[in-house]
Amino acid sequence: MTVTDLDPSTPAVQRHDAGSGTVAYRRVGTGRPVLLLHSAGGANEWGPLQLGLAGVADLIAPDHPGFGLSDDLPELHTVDDLVYHYLDLLDALGLPQVDVVGLSFGGWVAAELAMHSPERVRRLVLGAAVGLRIPEAPIADLFLMTPPQLMRALFHDEALVSAALSAVPTTEGILATYRDLGALARFGWHPFLNDPKLERRLHRITAPTLVLAAGEDRLVPRAHAERYAARIPDAELRDIPDCGHALHGERPAEVTAAIVEHLGGRRSEAELDLETGAET
Amino acid sequence: MKVNFFHLMPYPYLPDDFDDVEKYPSPSLTFSNAHFDPAVGVDLYHRYLDELEYAETVGFDGVVVNEHHQSAYGTMPSPNIMAAALARRTSRATIMVLGNAIPLRGNPLRVAEEIAMLDHLTKGRLLSGFVRGIGWEHFGHSINPADSRTRFNEAHDLIKKAWTEPGPFSWYGEHYEYRYVNIWPRPLQQPHPPIAVPGAGSPETMRWVAENHYTYVSVYAPTRVVKGWFDGYRAAAADLGYVPEPEKIGMALPVFVGEDDASAHREARPYVEWLFHRGLRQGLEIVFPPGYMSPAAMKGLLKANMKAFPELSYEELLDLGYVVVGGPEQVRNRLGELRDELGFGQLMTMLTIGAMPAEMVRRNTDIFASEVIPELRKEPLTAAS
Repeated sequence: MTVTDLDPSTPAVQRHDAGSGTVAYRRVGTGRPVLLLHSAGGANEWGPLQLGLAGVADLIAPDHPGFGLSDDLPELHTVDDLVYHYLDLLDALGLPQVDVVGLSFGGWVAAELAMHSPERVRRLVLGAAVGLRIPEAPIADLFLMTPPQLMRALFHDEALVSAALSAVPTTEGILATYRDLGALARFGWHPFLNDPKLERRLHRITAPTLVLAAGEDRLVPRAHAERYAARIPDAELRDIPDCGHALHGERPAEVTAAIVEHLGGRRSEAELDLETGAET
Repeated sequence: MKVNFFHLMPYPYLPDDFDDVEKYPSPSLTFSNAHFDPAVGVDLYHRYLDELEYAETVGFDGVVVNEHHQSAYGTMPSPNIMAAALARRTSRATIMVLGNAIPLRGNPLRVAEEIAMLDHLTKGRLLSGFVRGIGWEHFGHSINPADSRTRFNEAHDLIKKAWTEPGPFSWYGEHYEYRYVNIWPRPLQQPHPPIAVPGAGSPETMRWVAENHYTYVSVYAPTRVVKGWFDGYRAAAADLGYVPEPEKIGMALPVFVGEDDASAHREARPYVEWLFHRGLRQGLEIVFPPGYMSPAAMKGLLKANMKAFPELSYEELLDLGYVVVGGPEQVRNRLGELRDELGFGQLMTMLTIGAMPAEMVRRNTDIFASEVIPELRKEPLTAAS
């Protein structure tokens, strides 16, 4: 699922002081700033999605506290803490408004961020996002899954599952995954990957929002994408067919294109006025 | 040497197709309680309590109960209830609660209160153990495994302060907040009942147990690994200028004594296999959920590269020292060797192994009491290095 590239062209990791340590991020590209909030398995990743976004925008791709190359910052316990963490990061980088792309766990963080400070988010993408409490369509318990079960939940294409499982894991790899999942547990064990208050606050989001649903998501039932799309005022729901939960891990070109189109596409009326030189 | 009788209170009646590991990945957490027959369960509880009470009458120094949740492996969600049941039916034995899984408690003050009550009910015969709780119990009770360690530490500090400092006082911690801590009763034993903590090799735990002069207890590991743990505990204590008495080191061990060596193995084998292949069938994902282990501890675990319990054959379980089985002479000698090699002064024998029937447990208890305990008591203790 992770496609971290050791290619020398991968932009260097930068570090940002936050709380009791530092977090790692990569930043490259020109244009409007895009904050990419990764999934639980997507820290320290540099692949087609990141390349696609960096080609059209000023991409800021941090690792969440406790994930990837970021320090633990054990003082942060909840997704609410992460919202303040990212507001601090945007302030430190001098970015009053950004596009936010959040995937899976990062989608939950993105939704909470856009809900908390709608004016800071110009466009929003929620890809296979967790975060909602829907008791009749619960998120599968990935913490209870063996590695093969998890791979089958992440990818629809059996060939991708086999490829992922055929690689013999290194001790470092196992420890890194255990740490990332431990950080996910810290923020999402209980309540399980949800914030019971989220749904009734989603109306605050003002950004035009693209909600992506993986057609064959075996972790997050489609009801979650539907609920996000229904509760966010300006939202569009789009399916990525024949695709497991790991959206861009399974269908990188299609998912990247959909995100790029949303970020560059449909303008608000005020923006259209500006761009067409409408007189005021 | 103190010799104690440790009961797990398993539910032995697993379905005939339980060896289908796809269908039954574990007897814990996801194994449906539809398999628990209350009519059978009621008799089991009373049989098991009888076994603990009987152990006192034949000379065991202590009886041991523990806490597990949502599992056929052990049916004591509240060890304090078992200790209470034993308190007035025994008169001499130490009652060892080994222990309360304090990170799982929303209100650890309740543990402080119950243990203080038990201390009075037992007239000061109580030992209070504290444990983390196994990974699956954090699933079962919705406790974040990433908080398990800090919840353990804070609950321990709170309980100990509630036992030892005059109330009322207030408590403002990361996990718990109380404006009034003022437990009635205070414990009988002063400053508080003795405390025991099981270890599984974590250097942080060894040091912490040594700092507090608590009893350190091993369970389910090869002899060479247990030796490493006990040596580590003694080394941590030595760093602190403290030499733990042998009774501060305990080993929990399934033991079966038959009439002779050959019959013992023939008889014990299916029950040893039940314990390790069925009772302890538990994937890494439910034992060590994310966040439950520190990165250092996880690294140590990967490095140790120990086989999962169900992968160990009966012969391996014997050879590596997970269990001791034999005739009276073999068991006597083996336990004497282990005591001298490992330097423990508390033996928590598990004589009800897996689905072992009552008459066999009784025989095991009788032979162990008459043929093994006197020898263990007689031998001079030689302190291990």
